[in-house]
Amino acid sequence: MPREIIQEASSLQAPRGRYLKERLIRGIFFACAFFAIIITAYTIIIFAMGSAPFFESVSPFEFIFTIRWSPLIEPFSYGALPLIGGTLLTTGIALLVALPLGLLGAVYLSEYASPNVRRALKPIMELLAGIPSVVFGYFALLYVTPLLRNIFPDIQFWNALSAGLVLGIAILPLVSSLSEDIIYAVPRSVREASYALGATRFETVRRVVLPAAFSGITAAFILGMSRAIGETMIVAIAAGMTPVWPPEPLRPVMTLTAYIVNVATGDAEAGAFIWSTIFAVGALLFMMTLILNTISYFIVQRFREQYE
Amino acid sequence: MSAPATQPSEQAFRRRLRWRHGKSKLFASLTITATLVGLATLAALLVNVFTNARLLIAMNATAEAGFAFSLRSLERGHDLFPYIRISQVTEGSSAEQLGVRSGDALIRMGFHAVAKISDAWATVEQIPEGPTPIGWVAGAERLLGDLRAEIDPETSRVTAVLLDYLTPGSAAERAGLQVNDILRKADDFPIQGTRQAWEAIVIAAQQKPTPSSVILEIQRGEQILHIALEAEQQAQIPLNRSFWHTLWFFITEYESPRFAELSGLRSAILGSFYVIGLMALFSVPLGVGAAIYLEEYARRTWLTGLIQVLISNLAGVPSVIYGIIGLEIFARAFALERGVLAGALTMALLILPVVIIASREALRAIPDSIRQAAYAVGATRWQVVRHHVLPYAAPGIFTGVVLSLSRAIGEAAPLILLGAFQYVAFDPKGLKDPFTVLPIQIFTWVGMPQEGRANIAAAAILVLLVILLLMNALAIFLRIKFQKRW
Amino acid sequence: MKTSIVVPSRRQAQRDDLSSLGEPILQTRQLSLWYGKQQALDGVTLDIPKNKITAIIGPSGCGKSTLIRCFNRMNDLIPGVRIAGEIFYHHKNIQDPDVDPVEVRRRIGMVFQKPNPFPKSIYENVAFGLRINGFQGNLDRRVEGALRQAALWEEVTDYLHKKSGLDLSGGQQQRLCIARTVAIEPEVILMDEPCSSLDPIATAKIEDLMLELKRDYTVVIVTHNMQQAARVSDFTAFLYLGRLIEYGPTKKIFENPDKKETEDYITGKFG
Repeated sequence: MPREIIQEASSLQAPRGRYLKERLIRGIFFACAFFAIIITAYTIIIFAMGSAPFFESVSPFEFIFTIRWSPLIEPFSYGALPLIGGTLLTTGIALLVALPLGLLGAVYLSEYASPNVRRALKPIMELLAGIPSVVFGYFALLYVTPLLRNIFPDIQFWNALSAGLVLGIAILPLVSSLSEDIIYAVPRSVREASYALGATRFETVRRVVLPAAFSGITAAFILGMSRAIGETMIVAIAAGMTPVWPPEPLRPVMTLTAYIVNVATGDAEAGAFIWSTIFAVGALLFMMTLILNTISYFIVQRFREQYE
Repeated sequence: MSAPATQPSEQAFRRRLRWRHGKSKLFASLTITATLVGLATLAALLVNVFTNARLLIAMNATAEAGFAFSLRSLERGHDLFPYIRISQVTEGSSAEQLGVRSGDALIRMGFHAVAKISDAWATVEQIPEGPTPIGWVAGAERLLGDLRAEIDPETSRVTAVLLDYLTPGSAAERAGLQVNDILRKADDFPIQGTRQAWEAIVIAAQQKPTPSSVILEIQRGEQILHIALEAEQQAQIPLNRSFWHTLWFFITEYESPRFAELSGLRSAILGSFYVIGLMALFSVPLGVGAAIYLEEYARRTWLTGLIQVLISNLAGVPSVIYGIIGLEIFARAFALERGVLAGALTMALLILPVVIIASREALRAIPDSIRQAAYAVGATRWQVVRHHVLPYAAPGIFTGVVLSLSRAIGEAAPLILLGAFQYVAFDPKGLKDPFTVLPIQIFTWVGMPQEGRANIAAAAILVLLVILLLMNALAIFLRIKFQKRW
Repeated sequence: MKTSIVVPSRRQAQRDDLSSLGEPILQTRQLSLWYGKQQALDGVTLDIPKNKITAIIGPSGCGKSTLIRCFNRMNDLIPGVRIAGEIFYHHKNIQDPDVDPVEVRRRIGMVFQKPNPFPKSIYENVAFGLRINGFQGNLDRRVEGALRQAALWEEVTDYLHKKSGLDLSGGQQQRLCIARTVAIEPEVILMDEPCSSLDPIATAKIEDLMLELKRDYTVVIVTHNMQQAARVSDFTAFLYLGRLIEYGPTKKIFENPDKKETEDYITGKFG
């Protein structure tokens, strides 16, 4: 048989140009991936430079620990505590909804639901996760608030409670599906060991499965919290635009994100001092979510290494 | 057989077991309840959006027939009496030909008295197809004429409302009213001011169960007279209540700044597709490229580790932050202004980590044995990627991309910072043109107080959800169609 | 080809009974390999003769697959692999920096444990290697030739373009993989437990095929099935815990091994 391709067996060098081409292609793909570093670096630079004029005239201590936020109406005051409080209040209410519902739902899906139910519910959860946040905002303002008025007659048109409740519904699919993945990843053998000792299903879930999945579930909760803090449209629509201290559930509040939207939808000239407040508030928001996301990322990594 | 001393007695054990099973059952029902609550909320949301959006057909039908209305109310004591004032009549429309003018009050549709706009639309929805009877009261000038008030100079209070001029051919003239008659009551509604006089007549007419006349109590000289005034006019108006017609109107018309029922989604839909299309051009090649590097090329170094942490972190950065970044980089540094391109690039940044993560999953699903087979016949790394990994992962990548795009379509916050929060009544053409998108249009409408805005917001939400549903269906279809058994 | 530049050191004495070996095509010298910190091969020195079938046997995890994956540098693809020692192909060390692993692999083909056809048509499966290697001749004839050599032509001739490689049965898939390998006419074909996922009838067909291939190719086969090694191979190497315990003509290894470990393994005392 003629060996048409192999002319010379001893020449094992690559044909000319192959290394160059391969390196070039690899370089292009690397550049795509490296872009993530560029974006992050650029983001940090932008926020550092953008908020510099702000922190030249307002000390970080005053920014974080004083209770009057009035950047547009004289006398000007830049205490972001009302914004932070508003954010934490809506986030807290959201977590009160999302944590128990999300965890119980996840337990149901992974431990109790039959494969068919599971197959049917998963896409519905994806659907719920895919609903845009403006839609939830609409729902909070025009459905949940009127509903709540039956229970709390003096609830205001804009209020933290209804925004927070709906925010909780909005992050529910995230919390639930992440927890479900984690709970599902707990090996079967662990459960079987528990059943073999005569434990009921609840006891297995409560004393074996959930403790095994604890770190992963924590990560899911932290991620849900970070999502709730950063969520913009729901609170911008339904929670109001009033920075007050202390924030109250039945009254309007203003969150960090809502403040950014408020300035952006106003008439403030770009470049005016008011824009540097956006960067300061944005930097605060960025830092809060960054810390939470990083913690959650490393918890999940550790969980994966443990079981996979 | 006797149990060891440390074991509980048979009976105690049984009791305890029952208790444990009870707890287990309770917990099971708790988990089901939690799931059901989630589902119920979703259902409530959808039902609410659907019922609110449904009224758009009726709204659009009346708008098409030629009139738009706004809600007014008359205050008497502490009671509010709402009525509907026709705020605009389109020239040459059937409503105008029948004699409806702006400033008239709409009081009946299909023999049902209507006092609120939502009543009116709900009524239009219920009455059978075909010409619809409507009843209205002509404006004060055409119904009566000019009114004049006599004011007590000391207390500045109106003491009497007089007919100053009687419009010839008006219902008032036919009823026998005369100039200088003092109007005292319309049925039992006291007339206390010139502007309020007509409103009192409207409310009185509206209170009657069937179309009939309003009894005006007037004072002519020393006499108190009761005169029946045929206030209400009636006619049949053709209402086109076709669903498809309304839908077409809604998605092809621009937003009307004054009237909800005449508003459409044209610029928002175009803006959304424009921005998302451009965005995909940037984010898909970049995202897939990065995924290929991380899955096919990267070795485990600190740099790739860092890139992975950053990507998963960028995926969690609040979207409004991307708005600030985009504003600073694209709108300012790249001088793209707050136009379509700047919006698309900003959204590309936002969606990039999602595309990377989805593409990586698709690439990871290609078994290693395929790569090894290709290497074993002398393929270079690029040939393996180009001829095997990419083609086989393409459906998966495409599914992921479609899902990322559907997330981008619903995203509003970053684009608000890029100036998409505005009234746009033209098709965006150039890359620097101002634009708006669907979710922002919804945000705008939800924030507007007029009646009807909530309904068109709901209708717009429905349009948005249908687009998302179609995209998700496409993704699911792709996933099933190209499912590989390795 | 005999103008070798590098002459392998003969420090490690060759055994007398390997004198029948003839011209070696692949040689390893003191080859050790680590996956991270775990050592998988420990000082393996071995000559693979040309146009013969060499079987590598040993219990699971002894480093059989690792060893043959060294011959076409497939281990390069696994992160964290470290190699010490030398591997010669025609007396050229394939670990040298000027050697392109892609070139090595086109000369030393490989058939894997689990059939891994591409999810493409049967024709494209075979033609892929030819296409990427810039084959200029008649592609159809070459594909047919390869499929005939793999004894698959008769079975698939009607739907070369219609059926995906994945639509075939397991045995057919494996023969397709062999066809794919022989299409580019390598000198050596490495087979990593090619029959482990096949039924006995398919296994018999593959074994017949190997004996056919011997005429044109050098075959190295890893197997955990000792009967198979005894049936098809000319030489057998026994690997245990990453070390080469014994290497010689198959007949000798199976009938009169020198080492006790070999005898224990052959007779089924462990493994």
